[in-house]
Amino acid sequence: MLQSALMKQTLRHDQLSCRLQVDGFPDVSAGQAPGTVGIITGWRLEWMGRPELEGEREHLLALMEVVLPYARHLISGVGRRFGSEDQPVQIEPDSAGGHRLELRSRQAGNPSLVVELDDAELADLVRVLDSLRLDPRLQLQLTVPQPVPLRQRELAERLPLQRRLAAPVAGLAALAAAAAVALIVPPPPPAPAPTAPAAAAAGKP
Amino acid sequence: MTQAPSQSHLSRPLPRRGLERLDLLLLALEALDLNGGEAMVWMCQQLGFADLFPNRVELWKRRCHNPLRRACRRGPISVSETDALIRILCQMADRLYPMLRTLLSNSEAPELLAQRWQLFQDRLAELIRERMNPRRSGVQQLLDPELGAVERRHMVRSLSLAAGEGGFERLRASLLDAAA
Repeated sequence: MLQSALMKQTLRHDQLSCRLQVDGFPDVSAGQAPGTVGIITGWRLEWMGRPELEGEREHLLALMEVVLPYARHLISGVGRRFGSEDQPVQIEPDSAGGHRLELRSRQAGNPSLVVELDDAELADLVRVLDSLRLDPRLQLQLTVPQPVPLRQRELAERLPLQRRLAAPVAGLAALAAAAAVALIVPPPPPAPAPTAPAAAAAGKP
Repeated sequence: MTQAPSQSHLSRPLPRRGLERLDLLLLALEALDLNGGEAMVWMCQQLGFADLFPNRVELWKRRCHNPLRRACRRGPISVSETDALIRILCQMADRLYPMLRTLLSNSEAPELLAQRWQLFQDRLAELIRERMNPRRSGVQQLLDPELGAVERRHMVRSLSLAAGEGGFERLRASLLDAAA
């Protein structure tokens, strides 16, 4: 008991609006050195003027798995939802230009917690998660997806549907208008056939 | 430690659009920091890129691969050079992060925030007029006070999310995006 208390480590990463604190122990069975964290026992995310978030290792990983790809997409100008209804964390852009972070508890009856973030607070959150992810003391395999370039189809999402549909709709409308005009305007009468003397005169040298 | 990455995109050179965005983001940092040009050279030395960019002229020549520049340079630019420019940008954004954060925060007084954005807009416009080709529609849009506002905010937000060591991979992946 005393030994485990002595080996307990706390990793703390601060930004202006939030502080991430991760508690854990080195995984001695894997040969990890004292001072490192290989087993996370809990974490806390303190927000300035907001309720504190805390959870287990799975929740921290879920937070990283949605927030970091969300930030990666924002750099490309694509704001879309990450995380689904059955995942513990979800983030999406809100209508006011901010970001809506929703955290769901697995315990029945506990309502989900919604945190509205502005761009600066999101950047702070991304920085504390990056700082933890790159902390050499954290000896844990994280399943954070590696950033990859977006495909053309994914980039198209940054344009509103109306703008994306504008060109094909305009093209179809132009085609329909041209077809209607072609139907309305009568075709020109056939040219009269040339008479025989005129044809003969035309044949003379 | 993170998941093993797919390495295929890491050796790809930046496309035209990526080079354009990279240079514009560096320009935005210069607009935020009056001494940004000098800081970029200093950062280059600090990060050990003196062999790639031995002086400010070499640094400037690589940045001139931006197709929006007045004096645009053609020809290939190596992956190691663009990676070095991205690292310089991420470290500079990290150094200027408090300033970026101030611009993005909703908790700032609206009048003060508007003044700061105006100052940034003016400095950026000055740099753009000085170095970019004004006949390009992208340049005209950036200079437009209203149309360019969305683009300027996107640039500042991108810099804040790309700041520091952790932002390097995010920004590089973004600069390698397919053409929209």
